[in-house]
Amino acid sequence: MLKKALITGISGQDGSYLAEFLLSRGYEVHGIVRRASTFHTGRLDHIKLGHDERRERLFLHYGDMTDSSNLNRVLEKVRPEEIYNLAAQSHVQISFEVPEYSAEVDALGVLRLLDAIRETKVKARFYQASTSELYGKVSQPHQDERSPFYPRSPYATAKLFGYWTVVNYREAYGLFACNGILFNHESPRRGENFITRKITLGIAQILAGKLDFITMGNLEARRDWGYAPEYVELMWKMLQAELPVDYVVGTGEQHSVQEFIEAAFAYAGLDWRKYVRTDPRYLRPAEVDRLCAESARANQELGWSPRVKFAGLVKVMLDADMRALGLKPIGEGDALLGKLFPHRWWGPD
Amino acid sequence: MTKRALITGVAGQDGAYLSALLLDKGYEVFGCDLSTDARSCWRLSHLGIYDKVTLLPADMADAVSLLRAVEQSRPHEIYNLAAQSAPGASFQSPVEYGNITGLGFARLLEAILKTAKQARIYQASTIEIFGYGKIRRLAADMPFHPVNPYAVAKLYAHWLGQMYREDFGLFVCNGIMFNHESPLRSLNFVTRRISNAAARIALGLDSELRLGNLESRRDWGYAPEYVDAAWRMLQQAKPDDYIISTGRWHSVKEFVVKAFGAAGLDWSKYVKTDPGLLRPVDVPFAIGDLSKAKKVLGWQPCVKFDRLVEIMVKEDLVRWQRHLKGEIFPWDAVNET
Repeated sequence: MLKKALITGISGQDGSYLAEFLLSRGYEVHGIVRRASTFHTGRLDHIKLGHDERRERLFLHYGDMTDSSNLNRVLEKVRPEEIYNLAAQSHVQISFEVPEYSAEVDALGVLRLLDAIRETKVKARFYQASTSELYGKVSQPHQDERSPFYPRSPYATAKLFGYWTVVNYREAYGLFACNGILFNHESPRRGENFITRKITLGIAQILAGKLDFITMGNLEARRDWGYAPEYVELMWKMLQAELPVDYVVGTGEQHSVQEFIEAAFAYAGLDWRKYVRTDPRYLRPAEVDRLCAESARANQELGWSPRVKFAGLVKVMLDADMRALGLKPIGEGDALLGKLFPHRWWGPD
Repeated sequence: MTKRALITGVAGQDGAYLSALLLDKGYEVFGCDLSTDARSCWRLSHLGIYDKVTLLPADMADAVSLLRAVEQSRPHEIYNLAAQSAPGASFQSPVEYGNITGLGFARLLEAILKTAKQARIYQASTIEIFGYGKIRRLAADMPFHPVNPYAVAKLYAHWLGQMYREDFGLFVCNGIMFNHESPLRSLNFVTRRISNAAARIALGLDSELRLGNLESRRDWGYAPEYVDAAWRMLQQAKPDDYIISTGRWHSVKEFVVKAFGAAGLDWSKYVKTDPGLLRPVDVPFAIGDLSKAKKVLGWQPCVKFDRLVEIMVKEDLVRWQRHLKGEIFPWDAVNET
């Protein structure tokens, strides 16, 4: 019988990659999507509308992290062996505007789902999408599983609630539940209002003559950026391990937003100074200055060794955004992917 | 100028004692709770202040009702005591705990940010956020490890308090309190269950008491003293977090022995243990570091364990005796047993 996985947030960047990855491993994949008057499952279209057999193993269910009875029903119906909780209001800055909704989904949502597992007695392993934002105001250059948390946004406080709820359900009920404390991971499927994508999409639009400049907030923020497809493989690996353990996952490299801008514009052959403006409106009320992962545990226990690093990521993203706008990609990013992943399981971006 | 205070969870143990304290200090007191009728607010009646507190119906699950309560009371001080507050029971309805105890504070802070930025805010934080570990002395900056849904929700609120203080400039104090009891404690807490049962058994109304883990240890203080500590936090020049405890630990068994003794009974004849009443994960113990509360707040607990147990058992004995004589007075046990 096919192994069944349930993915909340399947229509997001990570959800769509994970769905493809699990399909490539022979899973039957079920996903929860919110019912809305417009479809927002574009990231899955290439599977759903494709012609290979994978689409026969992909099932979408309407649902919402704020609706317990619905989560119960979906669990009852699917009875998955693995559950990946990726659904979230995942934008840090937006969480300052909608703190309560962010908490409903990112904090209580986790609890509703875990409680639904308990209620339905579904024997499933559970992955929780935790985040480097938990560390917030850091006091050490690198963060590992033992570093103290210091959330700096409604998003981060809500995610911290989720993190502890997972730990609590693991300890109290012996549930196989893992927190993947993932540092920033990007891709051409990143939401357009996230900083990396805003830059690469902006450049592609500038090249296409559709945009004059991009407006940014804090250029000094430093992050550890990796390539999303590599991260979703780790999610799966966590659930195949013998014991449920929390893992920090990142590249261990740190770069500023400024550096991302410089690298991306340089790759496009443009002088960034002519096209980048800053506006204090884009600053967060409370900034997280720097984050950098120490992934020794994931490296030792899960064989984590990220192949796409900062410089490559910038090129991969810009190539894809240029292609999407009908421009001819510069091609170094595409070439890199071809070289690093000869047997890639994810579709073209 | 008369100071105004808004208390959420005014109908609870701490809400009632705090109302009395603030009224005594000349405050105008506004209180919110889910129900504000006389029966729900029996603790206020017990203290003789039911008609002295301006009661506003507001629900921690309802952001607009909180906004209205803040606007209406225009408070100088806000005490957020509202919570689903039984750690053991939180395993039964974890989402409700998260919603009221955790998100409720987020809703309140947003309302304050909008209409009462100058108000000083007290958040009822709790020892439970530390959970277990090998810690022997507990200070406010120790690592957290909540072990039940109640504690997860309280930790979330604790971080919110810190965040709104540091990033939005609100005057928020987290009072990390250890257990604090009184004759106004709810009957679903182990201390009051014991004092109530001891009184009933002494009067021949019951013959046994079932309890979970008798070896479970707690640091139990006297609630009226603890709300005084909360008030003191908001009178300081700067907002900060404080640990409030007695620094002494006693087991449930010790409480049982003392309580039954105070009622003139030998506990071993009446108390049975019931594994069904155990929490999935219990909280191991640590000594709360009181030095900051002593130094900065000038606060020190006076009512010790023996005295606390005695106060609680005596009060429950008096209540049941009055009840048996046919008296009617504000009280919870007759409605719940």
